[in-house]
Amino acid sequence: MVNRVLIIGSLILAALIPLAVIALRRNEHSPTPRFHIMLGMDKMAYRKPQRPSKFFADGRAMRPHIAGTLARQDFIYNNEAQMRLTPNNWKLDHVVLNTRHKYERVLLGQVLGGGQGRFITHIPIPVTKALVHRGQQQFDIFCMPCHGANGRGNGLVNQWVHKLRQAGSPDAGTWVRPTDLTSPAVTFLPDGGIYSIIVNGVAGMPAYKDQIAVVDRWAIVAYVRALGLSGKAVSAARLPVKVRASLAAGKKH
Amino acid sequence: MSDSEKPYLHFPKWANKVPVIVATVGGLLTVYVIVLLGYGANARTLNVGYAPVQPVPFSHELHAGLLGINCEYCHTDVKRAGYAALPPTQTCMNCHAEIAPKSKKLAWIHKSYATGLPVPWIKVNDEPDYVYFNHAAHVNAGISCLTCHGHINEMTRVYQAKPLNMAWCLACHRDPAPHLRPRNEVTNLQWTPNNKARLAHDLNLTVATLPKNLGQYLMKRYKIPSTKLLTDCETCHR
Ligand code: HEC
Ligand code: HEC
Ligand code: HEC
Ligand code: HEC
Ligand code: HEC
Repeated sequence: MVNRVLIIGSLILAALIPLAVIALRRNEHSPTPRFHIMLGMDKMAYRKPQRPSKFFADGRAMRPHIAGTLARQDFIYNNEAQMRLTPNNWKLDHVVLNTRHKYERVLLGQVLGGGQGRFITHIPIPVTKALVHRGQQQFDIFCMPCHGANGRGNGLVNQWVHKLRQAGSPDAGTWVRPTDLTSPAVTFLPDGGIYSIIVNGVAGMPAYKDQIAVVDRWAIVAYVRALGLSGKAVSAARLPVKVRASLAAGKKH
Repeated sequence: MSDSEKPYLHFPKWANKVPVIVATVGGLLTVYVIVLLGYGANARTLNVGYAPVQPVPFSHELHAGLLGINCEYCHTDVKRAGYAALPPTQTCMNCHAEIAPKSKKLAWIHKSYATGLPVPWIKVNDEPDYVYFNHAAHVNAGISCLTCHGHINEMTRVYQAKPLNMAWCLACHRDPAPHLRPRNEVTNLQWTPNNKARLAHDLNLTVATLPKNLGQYLMKRYKIPSTKLLTDCETCHR
């Protein structure tokens, strides 16, 4: 009798082992790839983005960008903005074929036909509320980590590296505190100057032309302008009485 | 020799129990095997939790969590393209040219930067090649990365958080409403519908005019196609 209890008991225990193994497997992270019961058509020969390919010598399915060319869809993506960017609303092909050189200058924020280092003074697309909102959103993605939400140059990355430096860690590297975007160093720049910094980078800041689309760059410029103004904001109580009165009357300044 | 002593085959008494035993053991075994297969061979067990060791020990917990970098900083095309690309090495060098420039953990990044060869990242979430999936369509319909990838901002090593099998896709395609949120909050993994002021700002409404049923409201506002279209085989197997 005791024997039978023992046998049945150990059978039940043994039966629980696979269940326990599965329960464990369900709750851990494992570096072994997913188990394909049947491979079927799970893996096919066609090319997918960022996947290896045996066809090309460098082993990449995605072809790298050829220097000096513009991918067709790049142009279509930004086409609307680029059209508006060009002062006379040139036809698309005209821009590509005949005025490539000038067109690139506009993209770089430089005055058409102007000399080196001369920048467009005003954002060449209509600055609407929607554009500034878009600018804020893009700013929060690409600029905020370093420059901070208020643009003062103390984003979370800067705070982190500052702590590293204080602890004497070599990981702090050659980092310098990002520029305060509400300071005169930026507010005195023409719009095209800020645009050019986004495109080409400056000092320790890398170029962002590959990450940010053309309209979005101008949107960010618009938002940085708004930040600059907010940096200059003073309490209405401190304004001269005359100005306050005319503001109250709804006049523009 | 009497009749009863002739060498006929006699079923012993215990043989009466055999059918019962066979039925019980067989029944229990069948139930056991079904439970085992159902529990062990389902997509949740097989697919979830895959966490390959990457060539660079990149931590989303640090970058996307503690440093608060938005997903789009690196996965730039996620709102524009079907494929949510992994960032090129240049994106890492934006910061790592200056931060931790000598770190051994970044060996592959430096190698890739010098030679132009891609970093051999291992794909974590991988649909079979006969399935069509599109990020832009989902993200612009107001579905968060959180819904399909889990708390990426708390992962030191990315793991697959959802089964990604057909039943899972369909469960949502039959009723997407509860999963929707304002479009510009999809990369905000801490989003909650309870912050009314923020919700109103996101939707360009006032707190007073906020819809009672957010899901149904967004279904209309984002023009989500009918369940019939979303569950059509051709949508995902094209
Ligand atoms: C600093 C750059 C960076 C940021 C910011 C970032 N990622 Fe990533 N992400 C990567 C890199 C590099 C990989 C590939 C290595 C890996 O899988 O860990 C990756 C991989 C992933 C994967 C797995 C891809 C696969 O192979 O299936 C997912 C999902 C993902 N990221 C989602 C997110 C989400 C969601 C966010 C925002 C909360 C985010 N990422 C923010 C750089 C980044
Ligand atoms: C916005 C800035 C930024 C970007 C972009 C960035 N990182 Fe980092 N990364 C940091 C900071 C800050 C640290 C913390 C350094 C420390 O604490 O030592 C860090 C740390 C790391 C570490 C750990 C280094 C160590 O020695 O402990 C790795 C690995 C790393 N990053 C990989 C990457 C990869 C891969 C990418 C590109 C997908 C990337 N990072 C993009 C800012 C960035
Ligand atoms: C509706 C579900 C869903 C949502 C929402 C979603 N993803 Fe994915 N993601 C997937 C699936 C499924 C895959 C695997 C695709 C494949 O293998 O073809 C994937 C793959 C990825 C990859 C690897 C590259 C690729 O495209 O295969 C990255 C990176 C990624 N997702 C990032 C993100 C980020 C960042 C977000 C939020 C902005 C996001 N995903 C939102 C389902 C989703
Ligand atoms: C959390 C909800 C959700 C999940 C999970 C989900 N989807 Fe979707 N999916 C949607 C919604 C909502 C749409 C409608 C988007 C639109 O067209 O506005 C959609 C649309 C699509 C489309 C049509 C896209 C187009 O270009 O018209 C495809 C294909 C698709 N999903 C595939 C998948 C696959 C494959 C999976 C599983 C890996 C999946 N979805 C998981 C909600 C989801
Ligand atoms: C919402 C997207 C979606 C729709 C709609 C859809 N499927 Fe699928 N299907 C998937 C995904 C994702 C997989 C991959 C499952 C996996 O990885 O295990 C799949 C896998 C399959 C498989 C292979 C199963 C296997 O394990 O080998 C078949 C067969 C299939 N689907 C048939 C259909 C048919 C028939 C329909 C229409 C009635 C349909 N699917 C509609 C997403 C979809």
